Amino acid sequence: MSQVEKKAGLLRRTSSSKKPLKEKVVLMYDEIFAKEDPAKNNARFWDELFLMKVNLEYLESKLESVDGEEVQRIQDNINSLFHHCVQALGEEHQIKVVNALQTLCALFRGVHQKNKSASGFDIINMLMGFDKAEQRMKDLMERLDSLLCGDGSESLKSLCLKLLLCLVTVTDNISQNTILEYVMINSIFEAILQILSDVSSRGQHGYDAVVLLALLVNYRKYESVNPYIVKLSIVDDEPTLDGMGMVVHQALTEYNRQYKDKEEENQGGFFSTLTSMVGSMFIADADEKLSVQTNEAILLALYEAVHLNRNFITVLAQSHPEIDIPTTPTTPTPTTPTTPLGTTPPSLDMMNNPELPLDPNLQTSNLLITFLKYASIVMQDTKDEHRLNSARLCLIILTCIAEDQYADAFLHDDNMNFRVNLHRMPMRHRKKAVDKNIPSRPLVCAVLDLMVEFIVTHMMKDFPMDLYLRCVQIIHKLLCYQKKCRIRLHYTWRELWSALINLLKFLLSNETTLLAKHNIFHLALLVVNLFNMFITYGDTFLPTSNSYDELYYEIVRMHQVFDNLYCMVLRVSTNTGQWKEAASKVTHALVNVRAIINHFNPKIESYAAVNHISQLSEEQVLEVVRSNYDTLTLKLQDGLDQFERYSEQPKEAAFFKELVRSISLNVRKNVSLNTLSQDVLLKEFSTIS
Amino acid sequence: MSPALRPLHLSPAHSAPPPPPASSSPTTFSCPSSPSSASSSSSSSSSSSCSESSSDCPAHHHHHHHHHHHRPQLQLPPPPSSEQPSSPSASPRSSSPSGSIGSTGSLGSSASEGIGSSGTSSGGDPRGPSPPLDVISEDAMEMDLGVDQEKQGGTSQQDRRPSARPESSLLPAVAAAASSKQSWLLRLFESKLFDVSMAISYLYKSKEPGVQAYIGNRLFSFLDSEVDFYLPQLLNMYVHMDTEVGDAIRPYLIHRCRGSITFSLLTAWLLGAYSSDMHISTQRHSRGTKLRKLILSDELKPSSPEAPRAVSASDSPASSPSHHSPVPGDAEVFVSPSRRTHQRSKSDATVASSGPGSGLRRTGSNPKVEAVHEEVRTRCFYSLERLRPQREFVKSLLCIGKRLATLPTKEQKTQRLISELLLLNHKLPARVWLPTAEHQHHVCRIPHTQAVVLNSKDKAPYIIYVEVLECQSFETSPVPVRIPETRIRSARSAENLDCGGGVTPHRAGSFSTVPNYDNDDEAWATDDIGQLQVEAEAQTSSSDNISQFSVDSITSLESKEPVFIAAGDIRRRLSENLAHTPTTFRRDPEDPSAVALKEPWEEKVRRIREASPYGHLLNWRLLSVIVKCGDDLRQELLAYQVLRQLQSIWTQERVPLWIKPYKILVMSSDSGMIEPVLNAVSLHQVRKQSQLSLLDYFLQEHGSFTTEAFLTAQRNFVQSCAGYSLICYLLQVKDRHNGNILLDSEGHIIHIDFGFILSSSPRNLGFETSAFKLTSEFVDVMGGLDGDMFIYYKMLMLQGLIAARKHMEKVLQIVEIMQQGSHLPCFHGSSTIRGLKERFHMSLTEEQLQLLVEQLVDGSMRSITTKLYDSFQYVTNGIM
Repeated sequence: MSQVEKKAGLLRRTSSSKKPLKEKVVLMYDEIFAKEDPAKNNARFWDELFLMKVNLEYLESKLESVDGEEVQRIQDNINSLFHHCVQALGEEHQIKVVNALQTLCALFRGVHQKNKSASGFDIINMLMGFDKAEQRMKDLMERLDSLLCGDGSESLKSLCLKLLLCLVTVTDNISQNTILEYVMINSIFEAILQILSDVSSRGQHGYDAVVLLALLVNYRKYESVNPYIVKLSIVDDEPTLDGMGMVVHQALTEYNRQYKDKEEENQGGFFSTLTSMVGSMFIADADEKLSVQTNEAILLALYEAVHLNRNFITVLAQSHPEIDIPTTPTTPTPTTPTTPLGTTPPSLDMMNNPELPLDPNLQTSNLLITFLKYASIVMQDTKDEHRLNSARLCLIILTCIAEDQYADAFLHDDNMNFRVNLHRMPMRHRKKAVDKNIPSRPLVCAVLDLMVEFIVTHMMKDFPMDLYLRCVQIIHKLLCYQKKCRIRLHYTWRELWSALINLLKFLLSNETTLLAKHNIFHLALLVVNLFNMFITYGDTFLPTSNSYDELYYEIVRMHQVFDNLYCMVLRVSTNTGQWKEAASKVTHALVNVRAIINHFNPKIESYAAVNHISQLSEEQVLEVVRSNYDTLTLKLQDGLDQFERYSEQPKEAAFFKELVRSISLNVRKNVSLNTLSQDVLLKEFSTIS
Repeated sequence: MSPALRPLHLSPAHSAPPPPPASSSPTTFSCPSSPSSASSSSSSSSSSSCSESSSDCPAHHHHHHHHHHHRPQLQLPPPPSSEQPSSPSASPRSSSPSGSIGSTGSLGSSASEGIGSSGTSSGGDPRGPSPPLDVISEDAMEMDLGVDQEKQGGTSQQDRRPSARPESSLLPAVAAAASSKQSWLLRLFESKLFDVSMAISYLYKSKEPGVQAYIGNRLFSFLDSEVDFYLPQLLNMYVHMDTEVGDAIRPYLIHRCRGSITFSLLTAWLLGAYSSDMHISTQRHSRGTKLRKLILSDELKPSSPEAPRAVSASDSPASSPSHHSPVPGDAEVFVSPSRRTHQRSKSDATVASSGPGSGLRRTGSNPKVEAVHEEVRTRCFYSLERLRPQREFVKSLLCIGKRLATLPTKEQKTQRLISELLLLNHKLPARVWLPTAEHQHHVCRIPHTQAVVLNSKDKAPYIIYVEVLECQSFETSPVPVRIPETRIRSARSAENLDCGGGVTPHRAGSFSTVPNYDNDDEAWATDDIGQLQVEAEAQTSSSDNISQFSVDSITSLESKEPVFIAAGDIRRRLSENLAHTPTTFRRDPEDPSAVALKEPWEEKVRRIREASPYGHLLNWRLLSVIVKCGDDLRQELLAYQVLRQLQSIWTQERVPLWIKPYKILVMSSDSGMIEPVLNAVSLHQVRKQSQLSLLDYFLQEHGSFTTEAFLTAQRNFVQSCAGYSLICYLLQVKDRHNGNILLDSEGHIIHIDFGFILSSSPRNLGFETSAFKLTSEFVDVMGGLDGDMFIYYKMLMLQGLIAARKHMEKVLQIVEIMQQGSHLPCFHGSSTIRGLKERFHMSLTEEQLQLLVEQLVDGSMRSITTKLYDSFQYVTNGIM
């Protein structure tokens, strides 16, 4: 991939260093920017224009350089140019279509560059003229639609998508892009779906199509009825949804693979400098940074699909073979002139093959597994803002999944066992897990593992409170499902319990620093309530009787933490202050945990005293626990198995606005002029026509 | 109008044909002979004489010389035109040829004239008289056409009838020939005792073309289901015996194929399998291959129901080949409505159809358009896609098996299986069915995660569970509309509303407590665990008090009074809940099927139904099937037939032996499907999972020695042991290790895998010389060597053997016919049939038989070879 990039970069530099010659097309542009109607003297002006190779740079800079008064003067000509561009899209001559598409791109970009502050209406007026705007845009969208859905050249389709991406991202804030109002009225949703449902077009344009869709869905999401949201939420055609899933799967897999390659590269002596490795991978190198950001777009697409379309949930469990083939440098071929937004085009043979390939070495995987692996990588380091956003989005997606009954059903399906190799951060106090020995288990185990992993590895000064809350809530939702459906998952709950207790411990020891920024009592309450779930409803979902004893053992063993927590919340709740209420909730929640500790601790001590043992073994403690249940009374707490359902609005709206902005910027950067004016593309058409 | 007509016309073709109303009009019967006395005289002949007579048959050859003489007249070579789809020859022929003839007045009279010349008028046996001999001629089928036309509108009656007449004039001649001889054989044929078994036997043994032709014709009068049992025999004869036999059977086969897709496919599959033993050069041009091609070309369509339709569609009833094309064209027009979303779904279908598994075409999910599609589908169903969906369905299943075989571990196989089935699921529901099932249905979903790979060393057989929706007619009922996977929720809540009306208000109350914060998307809002939770609570209200209470406590009133629970109760409930779950097997990656097979069937059905979007439908059923790739199931099919035959003999003779023949579908010489035995796991799995002796396992599963449950299970065990001991002895079933013997939840054993029977044994090693498998473990379950049950066991065997001996011919016949042209290992050598016959010990007295049984049991007991064989199996295959 990087090779290709560099090559492209090289080309870019050489071409831009050249002084633009006064080609004929430039002269024609100049005519347009003159006052006169260019067709006045030359009736075939427009015909000829679209036969010329477009000079995007010149055209754009020309548009930028026009100042306010001039705009008025040449508006007719620009309107005319736009109009003829749209008309040229219907031409049989493919060269003309290509040139028209590129010219349109330059128009959109140039006008926006110039008028950063101008209102959307001014821009529309300048491009199309108010009175004709509606008709022009309708024509444009229809032409694009038929180009995308027709049997024409793949390069043309690619260019259409680039144009649309260009149009969608011309403003930083997508909702301020008034032209998109016309894209709402004249939907190209169906065209996007068609690309995704067809195996071959999905392979070539799937990435762009998915990103485009994700962006369009986010246009004025909260203010108005966005038809793309409505339409996306009701798609139930499986091939299409699968196609969408495939594109996401492919992009995430590619990311995971790149990460793995890097990791392997960096191993061998430099292991301790992992952070710098991670840093170099995602921050230092500009090209690498791009790949992270483009994955944000894909992640957003995944989120929208999961959140909006309930049928998409089935796609998550749809198996694909794991693509673990080492990178083969893909040489650009005429059919795929552009690499989609800086990532390697997904290997076509995989995408084209409707059959699952028959390689016994390929582990069967599915989108959810790939996503979990991806999340495990992204969550490792949340210092970088992009990665923090990605991690947050990953957790939001998992929240949606955990709330979905169908998803829960297959997560817990005992017949669907997988080995999921999550990436684990190497840490001082633990060895790197041996990947090979992971047992094949229901997928929910991998989700729980990921949550435990996150809890254990992010107790740091710059505490990601938001992520922790989401994490604990995901666990809670899964437990609720298990309780409701009486699913006794064979999971090593002990690891979860000790992770949660350690989290409480961390909150306690960093109380002052954390309180400055966060409401730690809310998190503590959620954690304690997880324990309450186990204590009061353990009979409905624990796998063995012994596991209930172990729960008590763990609580009693770590009683110090709970004692300290109780002291702390008691102290805060008796003082008057902003945390009073929050802290007092925790005191109430702790009632059963304290009852357990107060009940068993004396029993264990007396057992030790009677038997003259200084240090009781685990088995001995468990024995004491078992024989003393009957004298312990617990209080039934309300609402333990209730949870607040995820909703994007209003809580998450700000996050998504920012996310979409950052994605827009990134996409805009990548739909470069150069990807639009590839020589290959023109070569292809010159030979065709 | 016409859609309503179609099922009417088709119905007799699918349902077992009731004696057609017409046949009750006695005068029209055109039996060649059948004096009314014939039936009475032959009915007096005892059943034993029956079997004797069959063996005597060749001796009577000369009596029928005249038949042979008339033969050229009888056997008009079927003109190719009769095969053309245009001439809608065979109509619902199942309404028996005589019946249809009877309905046309003129034909009937001419037929009865013919009989009249023989000096008798048939007595009008209402049970189903024999048809005229000459109807075998393909041309004779034209008559039916006339009849059908008349039935449908009567317009074409006039011009059709003349064409039928020339053939009908043959009738007197034949009838005369037959009647002139008035042989007792013919009287037998006319008698009530003459059943399918006898018909098959005579068809096979008689070298007399007249007799063969007569029987071929007579097949029409039997119930479809009765003939179906002997389909392998019929087809093997068709493939491997001389032309006369083939010609005699052919019209019947053609007729049935026209009437039924199921029959067509079964026939095509079997023809392919039985032709495979021929040399490749002869095979290509053989009769069997040709018929197979004809069937698969899908030109054998039920002509009558579609005839008027085709006429109205293309306006030119004469042009048969041309009206193939307009119909697909039609469909094309229908399938591409203006909306683009729709075009897309069409293009998907075409993309999919390039790979295997394509034919099950699914259409867009828009219900409205679905309906249109459906119409198109039924419309061009007969002309276009009659066999394809089912063939593609089967092909995809077999392909999956082939692909699985390449994967190294069971875990990978199972994972792959699940994902492959998920893909297959996208194409369902479709007009496909499971051939092993009893009732008409459409497959609507394969719960993919339930599928599991079975134990096999190098092949990859697998079991799938299949959700079907029963229907009136698989061929004409509309294919169910697809319900998306994710719609379980709504389905579930709908079901709940139905059953628990009383709980609703309470439920509604608690429902309101689940907050719904989501207001930006309605579709999203309805699906949540909260809803599920409420339903779950409602369902388990009686058993579960605490959780129920907690939900109520929030909703009912804001009572501040705290509720206390004892920790001991929670702990106790946990261990009780765990104890009450039925004994399940551990999940073992090396033996993934153990858990799946151990789960009680009822439980599995309930579980899958709950999780299925189709589960709420009343006609929902769960079926299961084992798909085998790379295995020749022809021997299995033979064994199945023998078992079925013996089972019905034992039932008839009231011997309480228990065996479980499981259905076999041969799809080619190296693939097929097996109907799984429900609620059964192999003895190997029992041993490995439970680590108990068989007796202890019985005690664990059924209760202690004196309980009724145990005694019942023990009796079941003994009755099945006796049954299978006899089977193993008679058929010389080898390779009897614990992986090949199942134990069901009622205590029966069931032998599976009849790969080594009759003349073949595994690897020709000297193992397994004992007559059947009887280990000391088995004897222990029976209560020891001196117990009553062991004596009962031996007595059952004796009774079973006596009963089987009485009907030996019926068993022998099945095997003997299949030996024709077969290269199956079970027929290796020349003495297979003789050996089988000898094992019935016809010459022994009952006392001697008793001694024989004692010897067999004794020999098996003392034989260490079964033990040795088990350890051999353990060493080589890891089976205990």
